Amino acid sequence: MIPRGTGGIRSARFAVSTGMRRLGLPLGRLSDEALLAGLATGAPEVALAFVRRFQRMVFGIAVAVVDDPQLAEDIAQQTFERAWRHAQVYDSRRGSVKTWLATIAHNLAIDAVRARNATPVSPEDLDALLGVVTRTPEQWALADDAASRIRAAVAGLPPQQARAVVMAGIYGMTARQISEFEGIPLGTAKTRIRTAMGKLRTVLGPERADHD
Amino acid sequence: MTDRDCERLRAVADELALGILPGQERAEAIAHLDRCPACREHVEQLTLVADGLLSLLPDSEPPAGFETRVTDGLRLNRPARRRRPRAGVAVAAATAIALGFGFGGWAVGTAIEGTSAPSSPRSEPSGSEHELLEASLLTVDHRPVGRIFAYTGSPGWVYMSVDLGPGWSGSDSRPADESGSEDETAGSREAYPEAGEISCRLERTDGTSVHIGEFPLDDAGRGHWGAPTRVAPDTVSGARLLAADGSVLATAHFAAQQNR
Ligand SMILES: [Zn+2]
Repeated sequence: MIPRGTGGIRSARFAVSTGMRRLGLPLGRLSDEALLAGLATGAPEVALAFVRRFQRMVFGIAVAVVDDPQLAEDIAQQTFERAWRHAQVYDSRRGSVKTWLATIAHNLAIDAVRARNATPVSPEDLDALLGVVTRTPEQWALADDAASRIRAAVAGLPPQQARAVVMAGIYGMTARQISEFEGIPLGTAKTRIRTAMGKLRTVLGPERADHD
Repeated sequence: MTDRDCERLRAVADELALGILPGQERAEAIAHLDRCPACREHVEQLTLVADGLLSLLPDSEPPAGFETRVTDGLRLNRPARRRRPRAGVAVAAATAIALGFGFGGWAVGTAIEGTSAPSSPRSEPSGSEHELLEASLLTVDHRPVGRIFAYTGSPGWVYMSVDLGPGWSGSDSRPADESGSEDETAGSREAYPEAGEISCRLERTDGTSVHIGEFPLDDAGRGHWGAPTRVAPDTVSGARLLAADGSVLATAHFAAQQNR
């Protein structure tokens, strides 16, 4: 059936996709919520579809934060395990499945960075990441979703505020770590974070209704 | 709660939403949020900003074989939970809801889970109101041959894994009328599958049933199959797998709602 000679399991998988295709609605087209519910069943094909849908986002977050593919893979794996165990806690009224998973991945990555007990980021990597998160290719310039507006808003921040909010929000650095990294007083670090967050918050205003 | 408490909270709200507030300060802030809706709303908004920052990170392709390692690591085909959340999960959910600020809140909630019980969970039910039904597939002589799951959300779906063993399509199976309750749906025979395939029908509490599809099993009698289908939680009662000749291979009965 499938030209990889591993016998029963492969052909059983093939049976699934055939069945789904025949009905014209493959697993890949189910909503994120339905797939997450399927993950909770322990159904292998649903779990695979779930992982396939989100693995690039999850791994992308992990590798950006820890800058170590091996560790990032562990984190990404743990993220899916956690999603699987906690699928029941997920409540669509509180936000998207994507955001939920991103938060899990990010928290695990931050924990790993903190356990490493070294400086979370080098100055060069920070500059590189700032470039990535503020890059606005032309095809995105016209988009008006929340991500594009945040991206533009971060790009528009004074450089020290953008650095502070990225160090805090992506690398999970505390205000004290940021003050040491930048060689500035603690109060200044806190002010930079708060001022930046205040500006970013204003661009999300109209989206509020979606999250209640 | 005093204005002074709120002032103190507002001074650390950004750090709280970003998840960088050190332990003791965070515990105090969370305690305040638990009793102050205005500050909770404020932190909720900031949490959206924190979520937005994460969405700026580019996707990245994981190493080859990642998806297989993940799915192998999960104890799949064993349900991750009972039909009803058990105490531990319910507490975690209640904690997140008590904090009430989205998935940043969910994360904070799990981080403090076990160290502080939720003091005043809001009245909403945890999780979604959609049910995930599950049941064993049993042969007419009550031998377990698989599991079936039915998701009652929208879009709903049914998923099953079957292991009938070799020879399933032969003399092992019995004709439908021997199982005692199969002849009530006149006209259902048009849906019998071709040889080598089995068909699945969902049964309703009023005795009617609906054909939802058919799928092949391999030589060892194994297969997995899923299909999107509407599953009405209050009328679905079970499922039936039929061989090409119309004989019943297995049946499943979803336990009555609220029963376990
Ligand atoms: Zn307050």
